Amino acid sequence: MSAMSYLFTVLALLICISVTDSVYKKKEDSLSDKVSQLTEWNNKKSVIRLTGDKFRELVKTPPKNYSVIVMLTALQSKRQCSVCKQANDEYLILANSWRYSQQFSDRLFFTMVDYDEGPDVFQSLKLNTAPVFMHFPAKGKPKKGDTMDIHRVGFAAEQIARWVQERTDIQVRVFRPPNYSGTLALALLFSLIGGLLYLKRNNLEFLYNKTSWGIGALAIIFAMTSGQMWNHIRGPPLMHKNPQTGQMHYVHASSQGQFIMETYIVMLLNTAVVVGFIMLNEAHTMKSDGRKKRIMALVGLGCVAIFFSLLLSVFRSKYQGYPYR
Amino acid sequence: MKTSSAPFGAGWLLRMSPQKQDTLLKLMILTIAAVLAFSTRLFSVLQFESVIHEFDPYFNYRTTLFLAEKGFYNFHNWFDDRAWYPLGRIIGGTIYPGLMVTSAAIYNILNFINITINVRNVCVFLAPLFASFTTVVTYLFTRELKDAGAGLVAASMLAIVPGYISRSVAGSYDNEGIAIFCMLLTYTLWVKAAKTGSLFWSVLCALAYFYMVSSWGGYVFLINLIPLHVLILMFTGRFSHRIYVAYSSVYCIGTILSMQIAFVGFQPVQSSEHMAALGVFGLCQIHAFVDYLRSKLSVEQFNLLFKSLVLISGSVMFGAAAVATAAGKISPWTGRFYSLLDPSYAKNNIPIIASVSEHQPTAWSSFYFDLQLLVFMFPVGLYYCFSKLTDANIFIIIYGVTSIYFSGVMVRLMLVLAPVMCILSGIGVSSVLNTYMKNLDVSTKKDKKQKKSDNTYPLKNEIATGVIMIMTSFLIMYTFHCTWVTSEAYSSPSIVLTARGGDNGKIIFDDFREAYYWLRQNTHYNAKIMSWWDYGYQITAIANRTVLVDNNTWNNTHISRVGQAMASTEDKAYEIMRELDVDYVLVIFGGLTGYSSDDINKFLWMVRIGGSTDRGSHIKEADYYTPQGEFRVDKDGSPILLNCLMYKMCYYRFGSVYTEGGKPTGYDRVRNTEIGNKDFELEVLEEAYTTEHWLVRIYKVKNLENRGI
Repeated sequence: MSAMSYLFTVLALLICISVTDSVYKKKEDSLSDKVSQLTEWNNKKSVIRLTGDKFRELVKTPPKNYSVIVMLTALQSKRQCSVCKQANDEYLILANSWRYSQQFSDRLFFTMVDYDEGPDVFQSLKLNTAPVFMHFPAKGKPKKGDTMDIHRVGFAAEQIARWVQERTDIQVRVFRPPNYSGTLALALLFSLIGGLLYLKRNNLEFLYNKTSWGIGALAIIFAMTSGQMWNHIRGPPLMHKNPQTGQMHYVHASSQGQFIMETYIVMLLNTAVVVGFIMLNEAHTMKSDGRKKRIMALVGLGCVAIFFSLLLSVFRSKYQGYPYR
Repeated sequence: MKTSSAPFGAGWLLRMSPQKQDTLLKLMILTIAAVLAFSTRLFSVLQFESVIHEFDPYFNYRTTLFLAEKGFYNFHNWFDDRAWYPLGRIIGGTIYPGLMVTSAAIYNILNFINITINVRNVCVFLAPLFASFTTVVTYLFTRELKDAGAGLVAASMLAIVPGYISRSVAGSYDNEGIAIFCMLLTYTLWVKAAKTGSLFWSVLCALAYFYMVSSWGGYVFLINLIPLHVLILMFTGRFSHRIYVAYSSVYCIGTILSMQIAFVGFQPVQSSEHMAALGVFGLCQIHAFVDYLRSKLSVEQFNLLFKSLVLISGSVMFGAAAVATAAGKISPWTGRFYSLLDPSYAKNNIPIIASVSEHQPTAWSSFYFDLQLLVFMFPVGLYYCFSKLTDANIFIIIYGVTSIYFSGVMVRLMLVLAPVMCILSGIGVSSVLNTYMKNLDVSTKKDKKQKKSDNTYPLKNEIATGVIMIMTSFLIMYTFHCTWVTSEAYSSPSIVLTARGGDNGKIIFDDFREAYYWLRQNTHYNAKIMSWWDYGYQITAIANRTVLVDNNTWNNTHISRVGQAMASTEDKAYEIMRELDVDYVLVIFGGLTGYSSDDINKFLWMVRIGGSTDRGSHIKEADYYTPQGEFRVDKDGSPILLNCLMYKMCYYRFGSVYTEGGKPTGYDRVRNTEIGNKDFELEVLEEAYTTEHWLVRIYKVKNLENRGI
């Protein structure tokens, strides 16, 4: 009896072992499958696009030995999420830095889920905003800090990298592809000027032509007084479309900001007023018959009056109630 | 005409020669413009009282007081132990003394001739006084450029231009107030020197430059502009012996004089911002030498010599510059300089530059707000200058174009732009008026017939009338605009606050001065006051008590220590306060009145700066936010925030106060919430004083217990 029971125990144990072994094996298999799957995708693209099913299979289901960073976003143009595009650019920079770095391994994957490809993911995570950066650790469930707080730190690639390091202890050194466009434009400009000078080398008189210098100076002035420098530094939108009415706003309603279109309008108006004044002056000094003089003076006068009132009304739309009487 | 009422006066006027009448008229217009410049800046005195404004002017006022009482040598050697306790600050060598010396001199002269005036009033009215001087100088400058008529228009425009008024209202006692005068004076004398080539004007120009250097750091703009002028004159082939004499003497005398200012020291020969001036000086010598050689040698000899000379001198200069930079003798380009050349540089690399509101770029509306019709009269004037190029006109063109570029980058440099805007607009307006006033036919009929024959066209008179009317209405609008902007936007002292009451009357909050006087009257002379650095200058100047940190933010770790105290819990803060010997703590609290720039709204900066050094590494900004990343003071706020020293000092006893009808007690009117932590007692502090509207609250730091536990 005791021998029997012993045998049974052994059998049970054996079965047990073989079962766990096979389960373990299966787990091992699925894990290596997943890793190889992810690595294969990652070799093609630095950011892996996931659908709802893939997300559940590769990110949510437990056997994992790798961390996954997920960007939940809405990139379709019909969603009108301009922030998502900027965030996506930064995220790509980070993912590429990781993809081509020396420490690149299968411990960390950068993935993304687009709302239009996996709306169920958003539902299951109870998200109603985009973009959201989440970290799914190798072991256990995501905690509070595993959602990146982009409202506070922003979504610059460096910030995401710092957050990734905080969560996973993997340091990714962000390598921004240098922006050659500025240098290239400058080089082009210089070569153009150099070329022009070379072509005209026998006749450099135009350098002493004060009209061209005068026009250049006026151009700088108009660019500055219309706030082009502000545009250059702040990068405002071209214009604003009211989401409710679909109406286009060319002029920013407050004195704190401005749209690019608005500055062009102002530049045009300023130029027109100045041209009006110059015509008024030219009409007097010009050596021609009275008729032409009269027309020129009248046009100049009209220019000044009309465009100044337009300028005033643009200004009034920014400072409500101007001239405050 | 006013002569009709006073026949005696008319007769006297008519008996004068036309030339004398002309002079009298100019003098009258200029006087009126100068008086206007002074009086339009008095809005703040009329609306409030004769009081120094804002923060930095209080420091200048205090130093002026010291200078007037103790004399120049004590001032020069002054080590201030009332600020930055326990470090102190050397004042004599770290400021531009021109402003203080000027007002102390005025004070002493007036008292010498028995006009008793106190230092504060000298300080309050100094900026308006210098604004009227600037008006006169503008007239002289523009007269050099075009004619007296344009000068008068420019002077009248400058008298009321808001871009300049913003920094020179009565009470805003700051360097810029006199610096603009110095700058325009230097330019005037420079143009005069360049025109005449006389040593007399050059020396005067160097002296004016010295005054400019002694009063404002912005002299760097000037010492780059004049060499640029000389350089462009060289390129355009206008270089002459006049320019040579003028520039060489201005540069030599000016540089030596400027090095006498302790704060400037050896910078004029070391830092790269001054190198352009030195380079052009060298170029001047070479140019003059080459001209001399050319007159002595044959063409072939000269060409050979010229080529080898250029090659040798070029390589030597390059080598010297490289060696000096490598050895650290020439300081590298400073960040502020870069931010002017490439505006996105500062934004990306230097947060402290990007964060200051004065360093923001200028939107088009602020150009219009500060300059109104000058925005488009300026290019008109520039056009006239281009059509009649002279050495002087080239100077004003360069000044105009460079300053408009810089003011586009930094809104604060509007100040430098405003004078040149006025000058060029004055030229523009007066040219238009000159042209069309002649066409206006008010003369007798036979005269008209004569004129018609040679140079006229139909509707000439009507068009002229139209132009004159438009110009007149423009100028009237300009006047109204400027007056409105001055009275509404640029005349608040910010130490006395106002609000509109329910019955549309004005309510004045004078809590700041109330608190400072309380400190002055009720605390020990050597008491140390801890507050955020914004209020340091005011406390030392008005309360005459020692502060830990002030607006001269030279020591970041010290400021950080104060930030740590404010951001810590009471017992942690107590350790820091004992370490720094703090007797009183002062906080600004706007929750009762709705004053939004109070210490709770600045608190995140304290946390950031506090956490930025090693000793404050335990202070993390994230701890002061809710889990959703919001900064809020109500029940949902972060518990660390609700228990830190700053919160407790601001909201002590506030939980039992009704602030607005229909709202519970402890309703914060700035954050628009009911505060989260209402019922608490202070352990290491006791409330010493709270002003009428709770704007300033002062706490006394308790002593240690008599017996340890």
